[in-house]
Amino acid sequence: MSRKRQVLAPVGASAGLFLLSVLAVLCACASVLGVKLSNAPVLPWEQLIPLGVYVAGVPLALLWLKLIGWKGDAGLVGAVFLLCGMGLVVQFRMGSFSQGLSAPLALAPFPLGLAAFVVGVSLTGKGRGTWLAGAGWLAYLAALGVLAAMLVLGRSYRGGMYMPGNMNPSEIVKPLLVFFLAAYLSRRQKAFSETQNGMPVPPLLALLGLVLLWGVPMLLTIALKDLGLMVLLNAILIVMLFAIARSTGYLAIGLAAVTAAGFGVQFISSHAQARFDVWLNPFTDPTGKGWQILQALSAMYSGGLWGAGLGSGVPQAVPIVTSDFVYAAVAEEIGLIGCGLLLMVYAVLFSRGFRAAGAARTPFERLLCVGLTGSLAVQTILNVAGVTKALPMTGITLPLISHGGSSLITTLFVAGLIAGLSDRK
Amino acid sequence: MLERLMELLNGGQGPEFLRALKIIFLAFLSLAALAILFAPAVKPGKVNYWLLRVIVTGSLLAILLYQATWQLLGFSKPEFVRFMRRYNKRPNAAEMQVARGPILDRRGMVLAAPVAGDLWGRRYPLGEAAVHPLGYYHSKFGITAVERVCDPALSGFAPESREDLLGKGLFASRAEEGAAVTLTLDARLQQKAYELLDGRKGAVVIMRPRSGALLALVSSPGFDPLNPGPAILDEENSPAFNRVVQGRYPPGSTFKILIAGLALDRGLAPVYSCPGMGYIAGPSTPPIRDSEYYAWERKGEVWPGWGRLTLKEAMTHSSNVYFAQLGVACGPAAFNAIMVRARINEPLVYLKGASGELQSTRGNVPEISKKRTLAQLAIGQGEVLVTPLHVACFTAAAAAGGVMYRPRLVKDEPVEALAELFTPKTAEQLKAMLREVVVSGTGKAANVPELEVCGKTGTAQAPGGEDHAWFTCFAPRRHPNIVVTVLVEHGGYGAKSALPVARALIEEADLLGYVRRPEEGVK
Repeated sequence: MSRKRQVLAPVGASAGLFLLSVLAVLCACASVLGVKLSNAPVLPWEQLIPLGVYVAGVPLALLWLKLIGWKGDAGLVGAVFLLCGMGLVVQFRMGSFSQGLSAPLALAPFPLGLAAFVVGVSLTGKGRGTWLAGAGWLAYLAALGVLAAMLVLGRSYRGGMYMPGNMNPSEIVKPLLVFFLAAYLSRRQKAFSETQNGMPVPPLLALLGLVLLWGVPMLLTIALKDLGLMVLLNAILIVMLFAIARSTGYLAIGLAAVTAAGFGVQFISSHAQARFDVWLNPFTDPTGKGWQILQALSAMYSGGLWGAGLGSGVPQAVPIVTSDFVYAAVAEEIGLIGCGLLLMVYAVLFSRGFRAAGAARTPFERLLCVGLTGSLAVQTILNVAGVTKALPMTGITLPLISHGGSSLITTLFVAGLIAGLSDRK
Repeated sequence: MLERLMELLNGGQGPEFLRALKIIFLAFLSLAALAILFAPAVKPGKVNYWLLRVIVTGSLLAILLYQATWQLLGFSKPEFVRFMRRYNKRPNAAEMQVARGPILDRRGMVLAAPVAGDLWGRRYPLGEAAVHPLGYYHSKFGITAVERVCDPALSGFAPESREDLLGKGLFASRAEEGAAVTLTLDARLQQKAYELLDGRKGAVVIMRPRSGALLALVSSPGFDPLNPGPAILDEENSPAFNRVVQGRYPPGSTFKILIAGLALDRGLAPVYSCPGMGYIAGPSTPPIRDSEYYAWERKGEVWPGWGRLTLKEAMTHSSNVYFAQLGVACGPAAFNAIMVRARINEPLVYLKGASGELQSTRGNVPEISKKRTLAQLAIGQGEVLVTPLHVACFTAAAAAGGVMYRPRLVKDEPVEALAELFTPKTAEQLKAMLREVVVSGTGKAANVPELEVCGKTGTAQAPGGEDHAWFTCFAPRRHPNIVVTVLVEHGGYGAKSALPVARALIEEADLLGYVRRPEEGVK
């Protein structure tokens, strides 16, 4: 291993991984094109633009990393771009780009996301991220601002709030609050590390401060009725508290609290209760409330072990399959084997993110890296678990694969930050 | 390259080509994933978050395993299989988009047809007239009625065997096409009946007495099967409510068919005196009166009553006073027994498919222990409620020698006798009485002499408005080939609103050759 590391510079290794990813993505693309062409014999050039940007743009991004002397984790970057490529193929297959150039907004997220990735790497690479600690309060206020703006301007859709054009700016709230927590907690490392018999006992004052500060965005998410965001933010808080204190007590308490809150919230919100009921027994109302999850599971069953082949399934039968339920489409068309491979790539991404966090130099960077990686990990777990009925649906998208402009751009920005943090020299 | 690709796809090699691509894709994906897994990592730092890595990786693995219980072993969950049989339109074939089979009427006329190129597309030539029996097939509102119960046949879907499981998707599978389902309905009668109801709330059943085959099953108002949303939300007219099989109404005087049959079977055909003031069955029961009493009262006169009536005369005049006495004379035990035989408290299955049934809502009649309660129930008032389908079924029993057949909606369902409601002799007598109703009684307006219509009017008190109007009839008397039952909600007097609909339908059915020609394949 050590010799290999010397032979292969991280950027070179990333490029190699990207090449392999491109082969897989092009195969997938050919399969989708094959089905589309057999239905209508016109090559959809315009719909292929995002994939073109992928093939041509990622090498440019890697070139930029080479120029700034990035020496981070190649596997992490490889995982990000493989997942991205799969996401683009799946969205192409689902017709998300079908309006071509007449709807440039649908084509723009990936190029913008790629730029955001590069910016992210540049911001945090080589220990540059430390200065960001000073912006913790700014990030906090910005997060509150976004939430408040959504409360005022947003409109309700499927139990959540969306801005005009169905943009969901709450995506940006996650990294902003991670920034804030990283900055806030890293300055109070001592206070939050105190334990007794393995249980954390932070001083009352520190705890009270955190509760008050954290309470404001929580109240706003409750007002927004964005259950998924609330669960996600609290999971991130727990992971970051664990990371700063390195006490399993926080994880234990957190898990208990999340379970209790999950059970409790159904008594407050009828929307949450409905999701809970559907999770427990989707067959009581199969054509109504249970329809979506049961169609998703039917899609998976029809995919079986090897999948129907990209482009050859019938995932359109699952409502909102391009965003929240995209994993059902993936499972139908690339099968359980393909799902296993994708989840493995996700696991590598998160595992390496946490490893990079452990190697970071300052507590702030460490916390930032844990928080950002954790936010992606929790999001992935909640989404996949929801679609497979392992947990109730939380209305969270699948990072890098789900349709959604703001989600893709933010996720790539976060991935860039993590990739930058993995390069500590 | 594009031409080559097109050639490959259109040259009959399409599926082979796509399967090869799938295998190559999975190979490259595994290669890329493994390379990512083993790519050089950064040097570990002093802090090791192994617990987080274990938790996240473990969670994803656990989810994948759970996913496998659905994706691979879904066939072992009966409820899930039932759901997929009914609602999953995915064919096993790799060629996707199997055309959903059509639904046809008894003569092969299209009632529902697929739309080429649109997975959820469906065309319903009868539109709202047949939406209740056919149901809808909608991406958002799901699948109902015949579309639902016959879905495995229509969609060509059936979960495969355990043996194919691991090879599914890798080896070629045969293409399937949805089968056609043929119903017993006649599109022309269905349409005509719906038109005759003319938007009024009501229901029509037209059936063959000796086989239970349903020629029309109409609930009005209907709604657009392509857009069921507004109908589901419309609480005022509730068009989504299937009145003919779900609506429960007091049967009113149509119930007298059952009571007369019961009495005749027991050898009872007494002569009762029927005074104008009515009949009081016991203390604290209200008097049962004939409708003429109230008609005269409105004119400011006192009705003298029918005097002494025989059973036949009482049926002809639909005398409540007579039937209340007759019911009491029959007694609770006999009454309870015929209610059980007529399955009033049970749902009637009108479609028995391989993967499900369609059934009507159960009726309601209490078990009687006191004679005096019978006075009310014998005239179809009080606590008794039935669906229009049920009224058609017991009318058919009178027409078919006393045997009640199970109503059927799909053509190849076997004919099934549910019960012998009356003896053949009683049935003959009932026919004679019901003929007399149309010749000289309350159903006079339905008399089409050459068709020998026999029938019974019904006017049932309804809460909150005018009475519900019934007319149930069959023809011809000598060898009944058709039963028509009509209900008009709050239609007032039965002979006024329900009867003309039934008469028009009998005439229409005669034009179509259903009345005078005996049913094919039935003795």
